[in-house]
Amino acid sequence: MARALVVWLLALLAAAFVTVRSNYVADLSAFLPSAPSAEQAVLLDQLRSGVAARLVLIGIEGGTPAARSAASLEWARTLRKSGLFESINNGDNSQYEALGAFLFEHRYLLSPAVDAQRFSADGLRSAIDETVSLLGSPAGAMIKPVLLRDPTGETVRMAEAMLPARAPRTEGGVWVARNADRAVLLATTRADGSDLDGQQHALEQLRSTFAPYAAQGLKLIVSGAGTFAVASRAQIKHEVERLAIAGSAAIVLLMWLAFGSLRALAIAVLPVGTGVLAGIAVVSLSFGQVHGITLGFGTTLIGEAVDYAIYYLIQAHAPSTASSQRGTGSRRWIARNWPTVRLGLWTSLCGFVALVFSGFPGLAQLGVFSVAGLIAAALTTRYVLPVLAPDGAPGLGLRRQLGAFTGRAAALAPRLRWPLWLLALAALVLLLWLPSPWRGDLASLSPIGADALKLDAQLRSDVGATEAGTLIALSAADEASVLALAEQAGARLDRLVAEGVLEGYDTPVRLLPSPATQATRRAALPDAAELRGRVAQAAVDGPIKAERLAPFIADVQAARSQPTLTRASLQGTPLATAVDAMLVAGRDSKPWRVLLSLQAGERGIDAERLRVALAGVPGAQVVQIGTELGALYSRYLREAMWQAGLGALAVCILLGVYLRSWRRLLGVAQPIAAAVLIVLAALALHGAALGILHLVGFLLVVAIGSNYALFFDQLRHGVGRDSVAGDGSSDSDTLASLALANLTIVISFALLAISSIPALYAIGQVVAPGTLLSLVLSAAFVRGPARGAV
Amino acid sequence: MNMLRRALLSGAAAALMGLGGTAWAAAAFDLAQLTQLLASKRSGEATFVEKREVSVLDRTLMTSGRLSFEAPDTFVRENLKPQRERVAVVGNMVTMSRGDRSRTVALDSVPEASVIIEAIRGTLTGNRESLQKLFETGVSGSAERWSLELVPRDARLRAQVATVRVSGRQAEVREMQVVMPDGDRSTMTIEPVAAKSAGPAAAGSGAAR
Repeated sequence: MARALVVWLLALLAAAFVTVRSNYVADLSAFLPSAPSAEQAVLLDQLRSGVAARLVLIGIEGGTPAARSAASLEWARTLRKSGLFESINNGDNSQYEALGAFLFEHRYLLSPAVDAQRFSADGLRSAIDETVSLLGSPAGAMIKPVLLRDPTGETVRMAEAMLPARAPRTEGGVWVARNADRAVLLATTRADGSDLDGQQHALEQLRSTFAPYAAQGLKLIVSGAGTFAVASRAQIKHEVERLAIAGSAAIVLLMWLAFGSLRALAIAVLPVGTGVLAGIAVVSLSFGQVHGITLGFGTTLIGEAVDYAIYYLIQAHAPSTASSQRGTGSRRWIARNWPTVRLGLWTSLCGFVALVFSGFPGLAQLGVFSVAGLIAAALTTRYVLPVLAPDGAPGLGLRRQLGAFTGRAAALAPRLRWPLWLLALAALVLLLWLPSPWRGDLASLSPIGADALKLDAQLRSDVGATEAGTLIALSAADEASVLALAEQAGARLDRLVAEGVLEGYDTPVRLLPSPATQATRRAALPDAAELRGRVAQAAVDGPIKAERLAPFIADVQAARSQPTLTRASLQGTPLATAVDAMLVAGRDSKPWRVLLSLQAGERGIDAERLRVALAGVPGAQVVQIGTELGALYSRYLREAMWQAGLGALAVCILLGVYLRSWRRLLGVAQPIAAAVLIVLAALALHGAALGILHLVGFLLVVAIGSNYALFFDQLRHGVGRDSVAGDGSSDSDTLASLALANLTIVISFALLAISSIPALYAIGQVVAPGTLLSLVLSAAFVRGPARGAV
Repeated sequence: MNMLRRALLSGAAAALMGLGGTAWAAAAFDLAQLTQLLASKRSGEATFVEKREVSVLDRTLMTSGRLSFEAPDTFVRENLKPQRERVAVVGNMVTMSRGDRSRTVALDSVPEASVIIEAIRGTLTGNRESLQKLFETGVSGSAERWSLELVPRDARLRAQVATVRVSGRQAEVREMQVVMPDGDRSTMTIEPVAAKSAGPAAAGSGAAR
């Protein structure tokens, strides 16, 4: 016996060690599939490490416009120095000087206008005319200083191609909102979207460096995917703590009433604590991280694990005969009640083990957590509790009254059999008649409120960062080919832009054309002597005399021997970050990938038209993020439904094998099925959108409910009654333990049902009424032996 | 050319008179009256000839084309010579087309461009609010022959455009001169196209008030 204690303590220590060192995450990517389709792979990359996941949208409110713009300028400079951000954009163009210089130096490789025709005498003449037509206007201020080096206006052509159509409003030298008193900034963190600690660090940096401006009366608002993830994690942590405290307090009170003993109370918590620790440790070891939702779910495991302790403490309570030896109670419990609890454990495991094989890491985590946690809790009850409390809980508290009350209620319950039958039938009809309530979506797992989403949408429209609704993904074995593909796709998209189908699109080839294109452009540049002749021809009667254009001829000459730009040669230049946002380098077996994000016109994106336009560009994929995510989640839910169905079937088989009677199996299965139906119908009637976590909740109802039904079956068939204890007191103990176990579950899950976190709320909403109904229905439906009376 | 010289002279005179002149003018004929007069004309078409003097170039540039506007916020400038080029402003969106290329940008995202565009669009449509928001304004002359001087309020924008001077008669804008801080300037002479019937009538009623 002492050996069991030592093993338990060591295991607990190891689990605690792993738990402390675990990596806790809260992003939704854990709820995305691990074996995705090609479109989903693009999507997942983007969600985990794409630029969209690293954007931080920032607003500065309050104070005067001048104070806001001064703060924006100065603060952005501080942030750029922090090294935590790849870029801070606030409309202050002075930061682009280095980028501008690089682009200017490589203009003959990068300008889309460079071709042989442009460098003919006629081409030069019209290019020069076009450029000088901008002079004498504010637009000319930019080109005037470089006119003699760039008379053909390649700078202008590059700028035109890169100018976004939806740029933010600029006032006082910084970006401002169009319809609010707010300066806006757009930051990109270096940390990946899925690196929550990195995201949190960046956000803390934002807040702490803003303090001086806050002291001036300015207000900082921050939004974005990373912000949401960090906030969710904090909120989940906060809620879990709050719920754990409230739940513990309620359960402590209940136990106090039931046992009237602190020692019993402390013992009752052991299986729960062991289960939670074991669950976290096993998940952490097998997945390398623990998801916040898994953790939140962990608190709900209290529900079933505390039952084990209650069953033991009450049922092993030795009858007060002075002659009986120490430990009689536990031996009797192990012989008489443990098989029932063990069977309950097996049925619960059947339900959850199905989740372990889910293709979605988040769901598999829930499964692993529950399986490990329940086994640990049951083993603790079986082997550790008999050592610590050989004869169950000493105190009696109000248990006798509880037992008596439950006994009377249980005796009356069978009279309710028919009304309850009718209720279950009505629920079934209602479910067939109402539209399916299983329509929850991925967003319903997120605890982000509507206000935060609205603010996010406002900031997005302020900075012109429209939600990347549609992407075009291209992939190829190497950099040169994927860039060439991007050029091919770009040519087709240009046509759609000209037709007004698209407003615009972002492509890396404006910054980094394919090597083939660069070579063609370089080949179009004439040598110095040739160019001098053509310039002389072109400048006749022109606004700039030929002899003044020597700097132009020299620059073209230099460009003829410029090496081809590649992603590697951009390293360390300001272009690298911008290119990386759209060009994903291949690694090992992963291909190089280009992502073109599209800006929709007024009518939105016509995906079919895009697919038609891109037909013939090898491997071009049109990825609609919303649709893909929706499809993912439905697949997720479908898979989970199947698994739950298989789990339910396994539970039935297991019970059948154990009970060896169709009649008893039916008796045990009926109340659980009816409880599930009634809760499901009530939720459907209420208009709730059910999702994956409701399903998990139903699994929990089946797991816990099957315990109740089995105990009633045991009671009414008089299984394992021995002569030591009078039948009456023993039955009363069993009934009291069931009522107490049910009360603790209903209380802890009712607490979840009032949580503000959708995931926890969903589970609580299902489990609290579900388990209560399971108990009542078990009392009503489970029959004794065929001859009748209980 | 005669008209141009006159415009230049009146511009110089206005500049010489400075604030005193403005104050004197305000008493007689002010921005409120001018914009009311201009706003009475809801739409219009004109041809223009623009002359630009740019220090880096070896000769002045001449451009000609058409202008049109329609209240409340549409303005189109179309160059016909030496090259075809079109700038169309509708609300906050500017579309620039040249040959087969076309770009659309949000006007308020490019404040330098909005100075020029609001100066002419705001004047043509008589949008007093927009003019006063962007510029220090000075009106001189009378309804019969007025001149409006616009200086950008924002120092950043004054580094791009020093002053815009618009002058005209009654509800018709006849000349616009833009002076850059480095002395480069463009002067656009505007000739209304044989007016639609509503034009002069509206202008007349504006003058009567």
